[in-house]
Amino acid sequence: MTGRIWWRIDWRGAAVPIGFLVIAQLAALNGDLQSDNLAAPSDVAVACWHAIIDGTLFRRTLETLASALGGLALGGSIGLFSGILFGLFQTVDRLMNVTVEAVRPIPSAAVIPVFLLIFGFGFPMEVLIVAFSVTWTMLILTRAAVAGIETRLLEVSRALGFGFGARVYKIILPAALPRIFVAFRLTVAIALIVAVTVEVAANPQGLGYTIMLAEQTLRPDLMFAVLAWIGLIGWALNAVLLWTQRRLFGMAAIDEPAP
Amino acid sequence: MTIPFRQQQMQPMPNGKRTQAGNAEPPRSVPAGALIEFERVSLSLAGRPILQDVNLEIGKGEFVCVVGPSGCGKTTMLRLIAGLFTPTSGKVRYAGAPVTGPRPDIAIVFQDYGKALLPWRNAAGNISLALEAIGVPKAERQERICRLLQLIGLADDADKFPIQLSGGMQQRLQIARCLAQDPVVLLMDEPFAALDALTRQELQDEIQAIVAARNSTVFFVTHDLEEAIYLGDRVFGMRPNPGRIVEAFEVRLPRPRDWLTTPEHPEFLGLRRALFDFIKKVK
Amino acid sequence: MSGSRIFWFLASLAVAAGFIVLWQYVADARLISPAFLPGPNRAWAALVDGMIHRDLTDQLISTVMRMIYGWLLASTLGIAVGALIGISPTARAYLLPTLEMIRPLPASAIIPVSIAFFGLSERMVLAVIAFGALWPMLLATVHGFAAVEPRLYEVARALGLSRWDVIRKIALPSAMPDILAGMRIGLTIALILAVVGEMLTSTEGLGQWVLFAGRSFRASDLFAGVILLGAVGYVSATLLGAAERYLLRWRISH
Repeated sequence: MTGRIWWRIDWRGAAVPIGFLVIAQLAALNGDLQSDNLAAPSDVAVACWHAIIDGTLFRRTLETLASALGGLALGGSIGLFSGILFGLFQTVDRLMNVTVEAVRPIPSAAVIPVFLLIFGFGFPMEVLIVAFSVTWTMLILTRAAVAGIETRLLEVSRALGFGFGARVYKIILPAALPRIFVAFRLTVAIALIVAVTVEVAANPQGLGYTIMLAEQTLRPDLMFAVLAWIGLIGWALNAVLLWTQRRLFGMAAIDEPAP
Repeated sequence: MTIPFRQQQMQPMPNGKRTQAGNAEPPRSVPAGALIEFERVSLSLAGRPILQDVNLEIGKGEFVCVVGPSGCGKTTMLRLIAGLFTPTSGKVRYAGAPVTGPRPDIAIVFQDYGKALLPWRNAAGNISLALEAIGVPKAERQERICRLLQLIGLADDADKFPIQLSGGMQQRLQIARCLAQDPVVLLMDEPFAALDALTRQELQDEIQAIVAARNSTVFFVTHDLEEAIYLGDRVFGMRPNPGRIVEAFEVRLPRPRDWLTTPEHPEFLGLRRALFDFIKKVK
Repeated sequence: MSGSRIFWFLASLAVAAGFIVLWQYVADARLISPAFLPGPNRAWAALVDGMIHRDLTDQLISTVMRMIYGWLLASTLGIAVGALIGISPTARAYLLPTLEMIRPLPASAIIPVSIAFFGLSERMVLAVIAFGALWPMLLATVHGFAAVEPRLYEVARALGLSRWDVIRKIALPSAMPDILAGMRIGLTIALILAVVGEMLTSTEGLGQWVLFAGRSFRASDLFAGVILLGAVGYVSATLLGAAERYLLRWRISH
């Protein structure tokens, strides 16, 4: 079945990137590029290949992913738990309003020096920064998912005489799950972005550091290679989650938040 | 979806209103009566025949209703008159000249009024859109908007946004916007189908009055047989696969009509029976 | 604001104050070393002192200006290009896949590329901010223009609106909710990238302030800076939110 899809794909979408690569390659072959800043696509591919072979790319990727996923686990669970709590109990939500709205707008980059001060370079600092950023997104979206459950469903559950526990377990969580999963997908993207940002700004590990190092050592070919690689990882993560989402929830009408 | 935009020849008229002559051929002399003509019109979409060999003449000031089961092409005919579709073969003529595209003197009232109104403009703003489109100068617009709002009973709701209006009010607003074009022809695509029974009756009577006052020509598509008899001067019955007109009924009921006395009229009852039988036949 | 809303606002304000009191207690009782966690009193003192006696206000203004400048640049470009792409299905078919591929790319990964071209300069930071803020706005605008109710296009055809009028009167207002949502996200990204950019280039700004404070172990100054950055985020989000609510007031049912 998968083999027969190829002609149904809209190949026009590939025209621009392929065209761009072709032009870049031709420009590189014909003229002389400023070798400090630019690199021919062929060189980029070669650099990428070498980085894969000697293991650096995989190692760095693992470092970034470890921080991202660690922070995701920590912040995601706090955000999920609080979000469900705030969504279920309006009183708690209202009481916490000012606190959440005051701390939430702190940009993730601002806390880098704080955790750098306390933990120094390395994993803990990055994991905590990712966790900090992820918590808020997860909280807000989960809260919306729980609070936004079709009132009709809640009326039905009350009419059926469900106790609180049963209501949460049988009606509220299953109803909110699709949107919570969408929130999760978004948070994964954010976790990756924040991890790379921390590595670019301060932390000497992971893909962010690799790409900064490549620039500093005047290796534009490696720089672009890692750039493409990061984009690929981000895209792949999202694609896998999207596929999972479709598999798990299919037509269970999911409201995507604005892009 | 591409937005087709048409080149218009704008010609000034004495009182400053602009109209356009979008037709390629000069109008030929028309027999008194035939404002809209279908001459052997067929339309196929993606190989499927939607309409086949439709012939029809609608005179100025006539209120024509079209009924038939789903898929018989009633809406397609409406869109052909509107200039939104072009026939695969045959000719659709308006005022003697072939229809080449939409024109301001033909107004369309859609069934899904919620989607046909601009949600970000209030009632006055929505009517204003039509006035802006036909080139009414800004100074004149306010007065016309007020008049139209009063005509359809929305004078107190000029500032309200569509989301604040009930279904019936929204449809009224759409009608008002169409009337703002000063149309000669009103094309109405099941306009009252999505409304509750009471509102439907109200609007049917209001449309009757408006159309009578302006001597408008109306092409009215509906599923509701009684509505067709109640409103129309003539009722056309269509059958599907492919769509074509198979019956034409004359409605010889006195005007103005009302829901209390008219349905008891023997002519009404006779037509009702005839139409019900017809629909059963073509289903 | 209704009575109950005022009540809840004050109640949650009290809760927040409670957290601050807790923070003060933790700092005073030295449960966490004051080198890492200064009490709110010390942080506030550092804030005030910095604004009056040192150049914290200038740093604040620099960051804000940078953020706004980059964001406006990205907005103009994003909305204009997004409109052109969103309105044409052909353009969407050719360009949307590429745009979607770039979307998950962390904007900070562009920083080294930007450094390669512009060096460690103001321009580099601005370029990064504009690039980072551009994508969510571009994609949101494309989505908004692509999702215009088709019936409205028909109404436009029936009324004979010119192409320019269709864009101005139908497509743009229809896309406004998406555009504004994209602008909101773009603003958050602009702030983050401004801070990161300042950290890397040591140009004047709160990013540089907090980084140096951290390196010199001046925890109070550090927290003062973080508080200010939170304030910038809060105020900008609130202003944009108010503008959004006003522009989109037609969505609220009364």
